[in-house]
Amino acid sequence: MTEALTVQGLHTYYDKSHILHGVDLAVAEGTITALLGRNGAGKTTTLRSVVGLTPPRAGRVAVFGQETTRWPPFRVAARGVGYVPEGRRIFPNLTVEENLKVPRGRRGAWDIARIYELFPRLGERRGNRGRQLSGGEQEMLAIARALLLNPRLLILDEPSQGLAPLVVREVFRIVTRMRAEGMSVLLVEQNVRMGLAIADHAFVLDNGAVVYSGPARELAADQARVEALAGATAEGWSGDATRAPRLSG
Amino acid sequence: MLQLLLFNVTNGLIIGAFYVLMALGLSLILNLSGVINFAHGGFLVLGGYLAYTLTPFLGFWGALIVAPLLTAAIGVVIEQTLIRRLYGRDPLYSLLLTFGLAYIFEDVTRYIWGAQGLPVTIPAFLGRPVSPTLFFITYYRLFMVAVAAAVVLFLFLLLRHSRVGVRIRAGTLDLETVSTLGVNVGRLRTFNFALGIFLAGLSGVLAGGQLGLDSTMGAGLLMPSFIAIIIGGVGSLPGTLVGGLLIGVASGVTAVFFPSASEAVMYVLMALVLLARPRGLMGEEGLMT
Repeated sequence: MTEALTVQGLHTYYDKSHILHGVDLAVAEGTITALLGRNGAGKTTTLRSVVGLTPPRAGRVAVFGQETTRWPPFRVAARGVGYVPEGRRIFPNLTVEENLKVPRGRRGAWDIARIYELFPRLGERRGNRGRQLSGGEQEMLAIARALLLNPRLLILDEPSQGLAPLVVREVFRIVTRMRAEGMSVLLVEQNVRMGLAIADHAFVLDNGAVVYSGPARELAADQARVEALAGATAEGWSGDATRAPRLSG
Repeated sequence: MLQLLLFNVTNGLIIGAFYVLMALGLSLILNLSGVINFAHGGFLVLGGYLAYTLTPFLGFWGALIVAPLLTAAIGVVIEQTLIRRLYGRDPLYSLLLTFGLAYIFEDVTRYIWGAQGLPVTIPAFLGRPVSPTLFFITYYRLFMVAVAAAVVLFLFLLLRHSRVGVRIRAGTLDLETVSTLGVNVGRLRTFNFALGIFLAGLSGVLAGGQLGLDSTMGAGLLMPSFIAIIIGGVGSLPGTLVGGLLIGVASGVTAVFFPSASEAVMYVLMALVLLARPRGLMGEEGLMT
């Protein structure tokens, strides 16, 4: 079976500090895969290594079977990877419409007209600058921007951060809808319960390595582990609880 | 007296237009690539001299277009071979590089075209005064201001409405995110650099037609251009526009009443603006930022 994303033995550094110690993970095509773990576990670094922002020093990244290790970000994007960064990173000085003109994507189903259909609120605010938007609107805009690349793999870093519960539900509804449209999703999420509720598969990262890999439902059923994760501690993952990462391919 | 004032205000406006063209180019490059281009004046001189060499073949109008394009092409070569290597490093590195390049430019132009001043021939009708009473306003002066205004307008429309312009403005604040959205930021920077250098080359041709050419003329325009950027507010192109015109007119007016202070006035103006608004006139929320 084709994998949307394959990551093997990723070692990534920020200057001299060694952040990722051999991360292995995979996103099966057409699924939502959650990447969980406490703060500082290396989730964002893993995503940055995948999209080319912080190239790994060792290891391998493949997108739909095509090796993309150490490709510059724009080539990874052209390969069909949409990235919604932590903190949304919308362009505050540009209007909503201008924000949507920045992506240089593959041709496909998503264009600005269809974006306004999916996010009517963005259409209403098309003339407003990014800095004038609410957190929820900014998240929608960041997702919209990534969708304009017509990605086959959508990567989201903490989309629920700082959002009201109702808005979080809306964001998650959109993510599940993308899966229904055939997109593959890699989701980093602090909100462990909600993340697991929509995910098919889950990976847990700790200290720069994968300490759990399994079906999201199985992990969600394990109250102790979920609480350990939600409580932002790593203790639930030491000792016997640790499982070798399950790898395909 | 009124005529003298008018003369100096016009002069100030024209000089201001040069500051604006120079400063906009500097601003573009500084905003997107974080490079303080001390060689910008060198590109201006190069544009002027290329126009001098091309005029016999292409005429003034041909040279007016081709010389800035050639200057921009040379700019691209230098960006690709030298400046690009220093992106993302401490700005001090690129500052030292372009500082050195400025000297090299000056010597190379002197070596090729000689140390004595050279004229750029302009069409005869442009050299005539507009009217006998306003003898100091030639059609060429009006023409310079019109070209500068048209180019500035074009630049602002490009940045506002074209995709590449929107990407340049986005990249000014967050180049990393622009790159994850499928944009080749290396190419974006090169295009942006070429745009800035084109403006410098064009200023060189226009200035050559009025003042003649001299291998050191770029250096004299550079410092006021930096002041224009600071007064307008770093990061804001409309601010740069306002800043350039402001110091041009201010030094023109000062030349009437207190000629020896006409250079110093721009520094005084800068100090006053920075005291009142440390981020410059439009540094916080201009039209572009």
